[in-house]
Amino acid sequence: MFFLKNYKSIIFVVLLFLFALIMLSYNTKYDKGGGFFRKIIMEASAPFQKLAHVTVKSVGNSWDRYVFLIGLVEENKKLTKTISELEAELLFYKEGYSETERLRKLLALKESLGYSFIAARVIAREQGALSKTIIIDKGSFDGLKSGMPVIAPPGLVGRVVHVSWNVTKVLLITDKNSNVDVLLDRTRVQGIFSGEGLRGGKLKYITKNQDVIAGDVVMSSGMGGVFPKGLFVGQVRDVTKPDTELFFNISVTPYIDFSKLEEVLILVSEEKGKK
Amino acid sequence: MVYYLFLPLLSILLIALQIAVADVLFSGRLVIEISLIAVIYAGFRLDLIKGAALAFVFGFVFDCLVGSVTGLFTLIYLLIFVVSFVVSFVMDTDKLHFVALFGFVCALIEQLLVVLFYNLLMQFDAALSIPFILLPQAMLIGLFAPVFFYLMRRLEVFVYGKPFHRIERSGDSRISAEI
Repeated sequence: MFFLKNYKSIIFVVLLFLFALIMLSYNTKYDKGGGFFRKIIMEASAPFQKLAHVTVKSVGNSWDRYVFLIGLVEENKKLTKTISELEAELLFYKEGYSETERLRKLLALKESLGYSFIAARVIAREQGALSKTIIIDKGSFDGLKSGMPVIAPPGLVGRVVHVSWNVTKVLLITDKNSNVDVLLDRTRVQGIFSGEGLRGGKLKYITKNQDVIAGDVVMSSGMGGVFPKGLFVGQVRDVTKPDTELFFNISVTPYIDFSKLEEVLILVSEEKGKK
Repeated sequence: MVYYLFLPLLSILLIALQIAVADVLFSGRLVIEISLIAVIYAGFRLDLIKGAALAFVFGFVFDCLVGSVTGLFTLIYLLIFVVSFVVSFVMDTDKLHFVALFGFVCALIEQLLVVLFYNLLMQFDAALSIPFILLPQAMLIGLFAPVFFYLMRRLEVFVYGKPFHRIERSGDSRISAEI
């Protein structure tokens, strides 16, 4: 009895060890997944497990949602930034594409005419009601001289009037001071195209006995000595026959939309073959 | 007596909670075995009878709920309790880095014993799970053990007014099982 009292703790632990060992041995050999105590523990723990699971899960879900929302805001910011960048990039490419298209047309015109040209970019426009000029980024350093014809697809733009070292002012054919010797493509009738500002231009000095109809193509005649022959100028918009006057009143719409002009070619020499 | 009455309830609560946490955090692949840390804590702080009872009950409930062969974790928990109990007389168990290291070692031993058991008796090769499951789990326990001990120390101070020490360790009695 004294032994038992003195070492009760150790005996208790040893007994527990023995019990655990027997339990393990028995269950290793005969365990079929049941066991009375196991069932009791499982039954007793079920409500706690459910409660713990629901609690932990809801906390986890709240946390996930919170983290997800933070992530969402961050992702939204990132995506918005990416969209802005891509839009800017797209604009850049669109701009590049349209520039390429314009330059392609310009090059085609240059090739078809067979003259020596200098290409220039329009850097400013002075477009009052009657005054129609543009400023280009090439000047005397590039070989430009006053009077040189300026063209762009599909035809005539104007002529160089004031040349600085690096910039040049071009008088458009729609300017009130501009006069171009032209002819009608269909009938070869000659006249003078005179600028009228916003209204385009008018064809002067064509007598009433000539054959002119709306839609006739007007092109440079090459007679004035400034513009080469065959450049498109515009199309006859309206023809009226005044009773008291000798000539037709002919309105012409220029082919070129001067408000959208961005690149031009300046004719610097005669035809290559003639050089 | 109250302690022994509440022990099964406490163990069920704790193990249910740790299973739920493991399920949510690691999809059941890793378990933060707070029950094992509690057994180590019992080995360091409680007397032999109370601690052994705790280890036995925790091990048994863990066996029942986790679904391994009943008795395996009971035996291992008892073993770890006894080791912790003995170690508490030789080492300074108040140091948290020691607690972390000891927790890691105990968890590793526990997992290795399980692998060994399955390997030898069930002819089930679980060696592959050592680097992917056992080591991370042991590390988790090593990380959580100091936190658990710190919280328990705060609780001890809150309840007793000072950190709890066993009589044998404070020198009031001889080192024996006569408690």
